[in-house]
Amino acid sequence: MKNFEYFKPSTLKEASELLIKKGANAHILNGGTDLIIRMKEGITSPDVVVDIKGIKELHNIKFDEKEGLFVGACVVLNDMAHNQIVKEKYKVLSNAAKSVGSGQIRNKATMTGNICNASPLADTSTPLLALDAKVLVYGPNGEREIPINELFVWVRKVSLEHGEIVKGVRIPAYENIIGDFQKISRRKEVDLSTVASTVVKINDEIRIALASVAPTPIRARKAESFIKGKKLTDEVIEEAAKIAASEASPIEDVRASKEYRIEMIKIAVKRNLNAVRS
Amino acid sequence: MKYKINFILNNENVEHEVEANRTLLKVLREDFDLTGAKEGCGLGECGACTILVDGRPVNACMMLGIEADGKEILTIEGLSNGTKLDELQLSFVNNGALQCGYCTPGMIMSAKGLLKENATPTEDEVKEAISGNLCRCTGYKKIVEAIMEVVENNK
Repeated sequence: MKNFEYFKPSTLKEASELLIKKGANAHILNGGTDLIIRMKEGITSPDVVVDIKGIKELHNIKFDEKEGLFVGACVVLNDMAHNQIVKEKYKVLSNAAKSVGSGQIRNKATMTGNICNASPLADTSTPLLALDAKVLVYGPNGEREIPINELFVWVRKVSLEHGEIVKGVRIPAYENIIGDFQKISRRKEVDLSTVASTVVKINDEIRIALASVAPTPIRARKAESFIKGKKLTDEVIEEAAKIAASEASPIEDVRASKEYRIEMIKIAVKRNLNAVRS
Repeated sequence: MKYKINFILNNENVEHEVEANRTLLKVLREDFDLTGAKEGCGLGECGACTILVDGRPVNACMMLGIEADGKEILTIEGLSNGTKLDELQLSFVNNGALQCGYCTPGMIMSAKGLLKENATPTEDEVKEAISGNLCRCTGYKKIVEAIMEVVENNK
């Protein structure tokens, strides 16, 4: 690992100013389970690392009937997954978080890190897309909110400017979420998704999100509009799964072929829809 | 450049100087001669480097030494009390829950993390807790039995 300068500021302002002052080769460190491996392998070689874990407000997780759920950038996945409110009101998010890596990884890794890496297969991205989450950003020109679907630009590219820091993720409050998360992988634990999907039913609206099937995680909007107003019969589910698969553009990699992924999207979405139908 | 850090290592306060680019695993093994935690894959997949940070299992290969500042670190070496083995260590010995021994410190630390949180886990919970630890001698059955024996003894 190449040597670097290390800073651990205690405020967002200080952290943002440091990033700007130190220039493009300054990198944010959060849980580090991705960055430290990339630094070891020489894929990322920052001159400066800004550890944001010293910023207290980023460790908050809170729920409010009006504002919904806020998960601070530094809340580790295990704490989020086992949070009582998350388990009660956002079960599908808890399930997705529990599928990331191993227990050891979930004690360090965070949801904000998961989405900021912008890996096409980020497990927590599908519940966030389906639930229309917003990413709260602090920056040199003030604060802004980015709808989660606008955060992902391309493989490992997010719509953040240098000097901007994600404070956390906000998920709207919904009266009742019926949701289901599916992950298809080679082994059950400690594996990356071959295909991941989330379907939520809110009132009578069905939303479908897919990961590991395109350059970024996506919503399957055509399948959603096909379902709209229809009863979830076996035939409707079958057709919706086919439409969802047609919206994806998967690659072939070490985990699966393109063809296999397309078949697995249909399987995952069918399982999702069957789980939320009743 | 070296950075000064303070942390609790195996129940003792330590002050230490580290370069930013060294993992906690390297610092523990090279500076403190604590070679119980092993580097297997170096990628967070095998769990051979598992230690407890503030009571919770973490891969020491994916944590910078400098991140230990202000934390409480427990390695396999800190489990026993002098020559008196921890109940998990004893149970691994009694149940023959090891062959080559490479994964053993990590397995025991993952189990310790679970038992700290839940003293009476089910067998499935035990299996889940060690799912981030690989054993290439495939001695999983005896490992699970050894952990379950501790659970039963504590009931």
